[in-house]
Amino acid sequence: MDDLAANRIEVKGLTMAYGGDVVLDALNLPIPAGRITVLAGPNGCGKSTLLRAIRRLHAPQSGQILLDTEDITRLGSKALGRRIGLLPQSPSAPLDMNVEELVRLGRYPHQAMLQPWSPQDDEAVSRAMAGTGVEAMRRRRIGSLSGGQLQRAWIAMVLAQDTDVICLDEPVNHLDMAHQLDCLELVARLNRDEGKTIVLVLHDLNLAARYADNLVFVANGRIREAGNPELLMRADLIAEVFNTDAHIITDPIHGRPMCIPFRKG
Amino acid sequence: MTDMTYRPARAGIGPIGVTTLVAAIFVLLFLAGIGFGSTWIPLEHVAHVLFGGGDKTERLVVLQLRLPRVAAAAIAGGAIAFAGYLLQRITRNELASPGVLGVVDGAALGVVLFMAIFSSETNSLIVSVAWQPLAAALGAIAAIGLVFLLSGQQASTAIRLLLFGIAVAAVCKALTTIFMLVGPIYQASQAARWLAGAVNTINVTEIQLMLLVLVPTGIAAAIAARHLPPADLDDTSSRSIGLNLPAYRILIFFLAALLTAGAVAFAGGVSFIGLLAPHMARLLVGRARAAGIAVSILLGAIILIGADLLIRVAFAPTEVPAGTVTALIGAPYFLYLLMRKDKNNG
Repeated sequence: MDDLAANRIEVKGLTMAYGGDVVLDALNLPIPAGRITVLAGPNGCGKSTLLRAIRRLHAPQSGQILLDTEDITRLGSKALGRRIGLLPQSPSAPLDMNVEELVRLGRYPHQAMLQPWSPQDDEAVSRAMAGTGVEAMRRRRIGSLSGGQLQRAWIAMVLAQDTDVICLDEPVNHLDMAHQLDCLELVARLNRDEGKTIVLVLHDLNLAARYADNLVFVANGRIREAGNPELLMRADLIAEVFNTDAHIITDPIHGRPMCIPFRKG
Repeated sequence: MTDMTYRPARAGIGPIGVTTLVAAIFVLLFLAGIGFGSTWIPLEHVAHVLFGGGDKTERLVVLQLRLPRVAAAAIAGGAIAFAGYLLQRITRNELASPGVLGVVDGAALGVVLFMAIFSSETNSLIVSVAWQPLAAALGAIAAIGLVFLLSGQQASTAIRLLLFGIAVAAVCKALTTIFMLVGPIYQASQAARWLAGAVNTINVTEIQLMLLVLVPTGIAAAIAARHLPPADLDDTSSRSIGLNLPAYRILIFFLAALLTAGAVAFAGGVSFIGLLAPHMARLLVGRARAAGIAVSILLGAIILIGADLLIRVAFAPTEVPAGTVTALIGAPYFLYLLMRKDKNNG
């Protein structure tokens, strides 16, 4: 990773707790601008909580999150909505809403009280639908879409929001292999072509290693290690974080590290 | 801010056409409601009088005797339907309504408490009846506030809201009964009639009070409703696109409670209109927001005017409370919705 890359987001001393349980413990994490950062870790390690905290969906117990050096708690709801988008794990919309209607909702933070729908809004919606390949189904109802189509429609909505930072919480869950790749290729293209800063939570470590510029291992509410996947994909580290033995090979197609998990004995 | 609407594929005439049609039915029924009585006044005469014409007798009958009752039905029905529309959309659940969320019973408790506290030995009110909507509003807001508090963090999950709403409604109902039993007899029978929902005794002053509460609240609600589309999404998504959902939800609940209170304070427990009208509106105009609100309000007015008219036709001279008729239509409809699988969110 380029050391000169500026950090779009800086998480500083973030502690999050639900009830009495500390989920994130004085966590620090810089998120580089214009890169794909992937949060990985075992179930319950706090990676989704971290992602949601970055989008200010939960209030931290202590610590702060800086977006372009500005504390996100200083931003209004809409102002933050123009800068960080987040696609949750299982988003839901009324089944009789159509795709275009959903995508247009992404323009919500850009609209002032009395300001009419603008040509920029139209353009952003068209671009988002073109970029995700959902134009052909713009009139289709949400309820009639397949899992892969639905996911693209939602990504289109987040794209229409036109934020610098896009957070996706396990976007490839419930998708088959082909659609998982389609989805992540789409995300990688957005990052490459539009310079979006992407923060992903991914369960599949091999997909994480393939797409991440910056891989982050979260364990027990802390960052265990973060950086280039080449550095993180080590048998000892994976054994420690994921509690499984692993053999690391190089993916013969992409040249990325790949992990084959196994149990001894 | 744009109107994020689209035409439902089935509707041939579109939301505007449907709204126009429903508005026409409303006007006809409104005139018929006035025309019908011990002597039938033809609709064109009714319209003539409403626009300032007609002879002295006709003017007296139409404006003094019959208009208040029909106007009250239209206003109360429309307001409760609007409240129902807001609640169904903000909870993303077609089972939500002022009745189910405890708002109607809360308002009723407020009014019965008001009647009990401010009655004199001779069973008449010692303060102006103008305070009655305030009592209803306090009761309604207290009820929905309690539902909200009890639901806590999960206020977003509709099922919890509905369960707590039903519980709060039951408690309000029980307290209402207790106060009626321990209260003066005359007041109790007044309250019982009122609770069942009746528009036959409403006078012009009360209508003016209703409008005073409901017109500003309705305008505020119509403006606030502009932010309903983002709230159609799940909580996380609607917040991620920049809606301050927790605050917005409280605002919508508050406005719905006020709309309900303003209607219920005078028209009584006109149950199920808040459930029925918005749901039928959705079937007619789909997700179109402006048309959905307009058609909900018109249908609410139509249902209550219709129920009141039915009573006058079928049960005259006995004055059966209109609320019993709306409950008779509404309760089976509610059961039908309950038994249907929730097909509208996913």
